[in-house]
Amino acid sequence: MIRSALIILAKDLRLRSRDRSVLLFAFVIPLALTGVFTLILPSDDDFLLTVAIVDEDGGAIAEAFTNGVVPALVNEGFVDASYVDSADTARRMLDDDEVSAAWIVPEGFSHAVMAATPTKFIVLHNPDRVLSTEVARGVAEDFVAEVRRVGVAVATTAAASGGTLDQRQLDAVTARAANTAGLLMVGAVDTEVRQLDATSYLGAGMAVFFLFFTVTFGITGLLEERDQRTLPRLLAAPIGISAVHLGKAIGAFVIGMASMTVLAVGNRVLLGVDWGPPLGVAVLITAGVLCALGVMALVGSYAKTAEQANNLQSIVALVFGLSGGVFFPVGATGWMASLSLFSPHGWFLRGLGDQVGSGSWTGVLPATGALLAGALVAGLLGALRLRKAAA
Amino acid sequence: MDAAVLTCRDLTRSFGALKAVDGVSFSVAPGETYGLLGPNGAGKTTIISMIAGLLEPDGGEIQVAGRVMTPSAKDAKAAVGLVPQDLAIYPDLTGRENLEFFARLYGIDRDARRNRIGEVLAVTGLTDRANDRSSTYSGGMKRRLNIGIGLLHRPLLLILDEPTVGVDPQSRNAIMSAIEILADDGISVLYTTHYMEEAERLCDRIGIIDQGRVVAEGSRRQLIAMVGENDLVRLSVSSDALRAAKACRDVPGVESADVDDGVVVCLMENAAERLAAMLAAVTSAGVSITGVNVREPDLEDLFLHVTGKALRE
Repeated sequence: MIRSALIILAKDLRLRSRDRSVLLFAFVIPLALTGVFTLILPSDDDFLLTVAIVDEDGGAIAEAFTNGVVPALVNEGFVDASYVDSADTARRMLDDDEVSAAWIVPEGFSHAVMAATPTKFIVLHNPDRVLSTEVARGVAEDFVAEVRRVGVAVATTAAASGGTLDQRQLDAVTARAANTAGLLMVGAVDTEVRQLDATSYLGAGMAVFFLFFTVTFGITGLLEERDQRTLPRLLAAPIGISAVHLGKAIGAFVIGMASMTVLAVGNRVLLGVDWGPPLGVAVLITAGVLCALGVMALVGSYAKTAEQANNLQSIVALVFGLSGGVFFPVGATGWMASLSLFSPHGWFLRGLGDQVGSGSWTGVLPATGALLAGALVAGLLGALRLRKAAA
Repeated sequence: MDAAVLTCRDLTRSFGALKAVDGVSFSVAPGETYGLLGPNGAGKTTIISMIAGLLEPDGGEIQVAGRVMTPSAKDAKAAVGLVPQDLAIYPDLTGRENLEFFARLYGIDRDARRNRIGEVLAVTGLTDRANDRSSTYSGGMKRRLNIGIGLLHRPLLLILDEPTVGVDPQSRNAIMSAIEILADDGISVLYTTHYMEEAERLCDRIGIIDQGRVVAEGSRRQLIAMVGENDLVRLSVSSDALRAAKACRDVPGVESADVDDGVVVCLMENAAERLAAMLAAVTSAGVSITGVNVREPDLEDLFLHVTGKALRE
């Protein structure tokens, strides 16, 4: 069976080497897009959020933001803060384009939080500054989310202590709100992914995104054989259907590995990306390719023609890519972060981030485990469906 | 028929409620060219698929060179060369690469492979274009390559499934000449077609197949004899052909009278003596005759005789 599978593999690789679309999807487009995006998108180093801060409240929670969170962001070089005395001043500065956003802590904010009653945190923004608007809003949302938890803690503590808080409890709650600075420093960008610089992140995102298209060239091979009427001739030869399946699967794996290897080296050499220790990169790429194979085999098993399979697989690759954050970081918290746990792309990027963050190749192991589990489950289901279809 | 290269016994195969093959039995002797002649949808390709090991029969047995054929029977498959009805070649490979791939798949070793590919290229007339991608070949050249792949491993049984469908007359003739050469070399051939003239020209024996059953079988002479030592008279009429056919049946010596595409087709003894009486009977029935043709029957007439319908329907 192995011999027959290798003969089919050799034929497929020869055919693929003559197919320009494979070369484009596997090698050229991902690298080119990374290069283009790197040129047109601002990098972490370039970005600076200019923001006006108004504290109309003066309470403990407001101070946790103005004296804790904001200085931390300023120290990170992420924010240029201007403290002003009124919302009107902030609006004027926005109108004059002196700042790109404003954070306003309204009067009664801290009291409302302590009383666990509804309140507002106001973000003013310049609609022409899309990125700054999103970042300002993201920081505010993360702060409010933490404050909401503080509010719940306040209510719980107050209930437990008979409805009143002593000074020690109040200080503890305030300190917790102040500690949101640690979260907010990286609030706009995923905690782990933050470990990758923008170009490295984009390069990895493009590579894994196009990997899911590249492996389909192998996976759909069986359907292509059927479409071009060569499958009956293969099956009439003294080989088993398993040899044909194996040949196609090895072909997809080889193309996927070749694509990712070239992209890893190309990104490193041409764009200077840093994905961390090569051993970890190799392990993660192997797991990623296997996962792509399994997922796309399962998706392909629902198609009757190669064209149908390509359409289905493109949709799945796009959905997984977007939910996994290949074009933009999905954040450490929130529903997008939860969604990314179901995306192989998300795990791949998380794995690289973990590796760079930890400085050791073992950082990829959790993500590798998740990818291999996905490969196993999807691959087995796909194989069962393909076997049933062949019978 | 123990020495038969192919033996099919009581083959059946259904697709849902449709019984595509219903108790088909026949055999092909060494060096024999056997034709399966029937209209589209008669079950020929299903039979071929089972013989080539692509489909498992619901019932019955197939033996190729004494080995039972199933989808997993590699030794039986190695004895068969399949030329599918559709072109089964890789357009982005050259003719030589196509042959090389299938030769390796059939386990032909390197030295023998090189020689055999050269021979097949010569037989199919593709030597000069061997290194061109097959996508650049003409339709006839692609057909010849399609056949060449089936010949590569010197099969004991070559299955040709309607190899001339969609081919221009010149290429069709070239393909049939090539098959005649193969038959002369002693290879056993199973040939399916719905073209009567191909079956008559190429086949030693013919199985007439309709609705999944072999309705008649034998050499051309034997099959024609089933129609009888009768003449075939075709009457073109201006109006009611059914009434004309009924009038013909009442004439002494007329064995059968059917209507085919508005023409009355009669089998009758000694047409030279009885034709005048038959024409008079038709005229008396109030039907005008616009043309008369008298000839010996052929396989198409046999098909009409045994199934009551035309081969091309």
